[in-house]
Amino acid sequence: MIEFTKNVGNKIGLHLRAAGEFVKIAAQFSSDIRVYHGEKFANGKSILGLASLAAAKGARVRVEIEGPDEAAAQKALEALFDAKFYED
Amino acid sequence: MARNKSEKAKADPNGAARPKPEFERRGISASPGIVIGTAFVRDAERISVPRTPVEPARVEVEVGRFGQALADTARELRALKADIARKMGDDHARIFDAHLLILEDRMLIDETAAVIRSECLNAAAAFDKVIGKFIASIAGIEDQYLKERTVDVQDVRKRVIRVLLGTDARASSRPTEPSIVVAHDLSPSDTAQFDRRTVLAYVTDLGGRTSHTAILARSQGIPAVLGLESLVERVETGDTVIVDGNTGAVVVNPTPATLDQYRLEMARFHELEEQLLTLTGYPAQTLDGRAFMLCANLDAADEVGSVLDHGGQGVGLFRTEYFFISQEYLPGEEEQYRVYRQVVEGMAGKPVVIRTLDIGGDKIASYLNRSPELNPFMGWRGIRFCLTRKDIFKTQLRAIYRASAHGNVKIMFPMISQIEEILKAKEICAEVREELKRDRYRYDEDVELGMMIETPSAVALADQFAREVAFFSIGTNDLIQYTMAVDRGNSKIAHLYQHLHPSILRLLRLTVEAARRRKVHLSICGEMAGDPLSVPILIGLGVDEFSVSPNVIPEVKRMIRSVTFDECRALLRRVSRFRTTAEIEGEIEAFVKSHVPTVLEPGRMGK
Repeated sequence: MIEFTKNVGNKIGLHLRAAGEFVKIAAQFSSDIRVYHGEKFANGKSILGLASLAAAKGARVRVEIEGPDEAAAQKALEALFDAKFYED
Repeated sequence: MARNKSEKAKADPNGAARPKPEFERRGISASPGIVIGTAFVRDAERISVPRTPVEPARVEVEVGRFGQALADTARELRALKADIARKMGDDHARIFDAHLLILEDRMLIDETAAVIRSECLNAAAAFDKVIGKFIASIAGIEDQYLKERTVDVQDVRKRVIRVLLGTDARASSRPTEPSIVVAHDLSPSDTAQFDRRTVLAYVTDLGGRTSHTAILARSQGIPAVLGLESLVERVETGDTVIVDGNTGAVVVNPTPATLDQYRLEMARFHELEEQLLTLTGYPAQTLDGRAFMLCANLDAADEVGSVLDHGGQGVGLFRTEYFFISQEYLPGEEEQYRVYRQVVEGMAGKPVVIRTLDIGGDKIASYLNRSPELNPFMGWRGIRFCLTRKDIFKTQLRAIYRASAHGNVKIMFPMISQIEEILKAKEICAEVREELKRDRYRYDEDVELGMMIETPSAVALADQFAREVAFFSIGTNDLIQYTMAVDRGNSKIAHLYQHLHPSILRLLRLTVEAARRRKVHLSICGEMAGDPLSVPILIGLGVDEFSVSPNVIPEVKRMIRSVTFDECRALLRRVSRFRTTAEIEGEIEAFVKSHVPTVLEPGRMGK
């Protein structure tokens, strides 16, 4: 299992559309993906789960990835955070 | 219009089926035109989900039915998405991506199936329970941006439940016959679903002149009255309704006498419209040959067609803030560039004045998360906002400059009250040009920079400002509000808001003189420019340009073409001696009556 921690950098946080971008990438990998924010966590392939995390701008989230393609998944998801979910 | 109320009270002496009583409501006239039709009440919110137990043996069938409903809903949404992409562009269609992803959400699907199996519950009730939990947890979020997104989840909830219950979502949410759509509020995805041919008018409880529905109605040429507060509860589908988008009146269950009255009004309006449209090809020129630029104020890119149809010679004011307000988040450079480019290309070389973001006052975008101000109109708005949020300002300027490569663009700054502000804005424009050059973008080197004259201090210093910019545009609405210290929304003092107050005429004259001395182009873009009584005065003052709502262009043109410049100058000289608005208006009214033939009722357009 590998993990990384990132700040939610886009202006309006991990709302439905940003969560959708996350899910679109996560769904391309067979690894299990979990996203932690504070006390909560969500399945990284569930748009509603991610949207329920209440990760506003600047929130620190931890992403755990476990599975055969975990390294590639980490790379793709980190890039999404760095690109601020293509929003700004 | 509504003086028939006593008549219908004495209806049905024989105790026959009593006709529903007529009543009238006043709202905001958001798009002109008069129409009589049948109401289609769209009540999107109410949806009841029956709970019925499922026999254990049939549980798997119910799970299968749920899967099928998700697939059917997805098909419906994809069709809708394609339709909207075609009609309104990919940007509008993108909102459906999130909807589709919700339908594929494994947690949602698996938990619903689990509830169907463990509680032997029908699919609709099980689904409602599970998605309801997600909606509750998103709605509980403090952050406003995140919270607002529950509407999208609600939308999916309603669609799936309708499919499961076998009620055709389309049949229940949009009219099949030409109707007057009556709703509490309409979202872009609601209006996008209507077939334009089945909508005679829009009537909603919420919204104002600048809401999405208003802009859409104007661009489609459909009458609209918004902001009616609680009309939807009092109208039923099938009721006869009169919508007067010119005055903002809505009459429900009109009596025969009221109907006759409005039929007459409609005939007059159509006649006037037709007469006016014949003017489209003619120049906006006085009888003695003085020509004026006649341009349009624009709120949205889709309105460009309407500008050209009405004979607009350019866009005198593109208010970019409505694009910002209609988004869920701050639009980036590319998105803005696409919108500006669409307008600039649509106008095909005709001038387009793009006003930089005038957020603040009554125009707020939720994602900018501003704390409320005690006095927003005198607060952090217009250029004041942009100079502190230089990031937002520069992104917009980059997008505008890039769009300038595709046509004739000018940039205008709002709410200028100090010289430093215009100097700073120009400096930032120079920075942006340097950056674009470095990034190898194409742009027009000669984009003219101008400013709004809408604060009394800008008028007082107009001669100084005239050294710094290529054009002025007088925003009369704010200029009058700030000069007279009157909030038009306050009914106790609204009468003090007067276009033709002697003090306003003096300020206009000062501005015109300063502009003329420095050869600065002068435009009028406030409501005053479309007010029939004010037009002869503005002609007499010698402004260069009028910029008004697209549909008002023909009427202003007719005024211009009915008078001579000399007469208007003489009129201006006469009224300059008066000390009260009443005297000034009386003099102009007599002038208008004797010069502008028939139909036009002074005061009708501007109010």
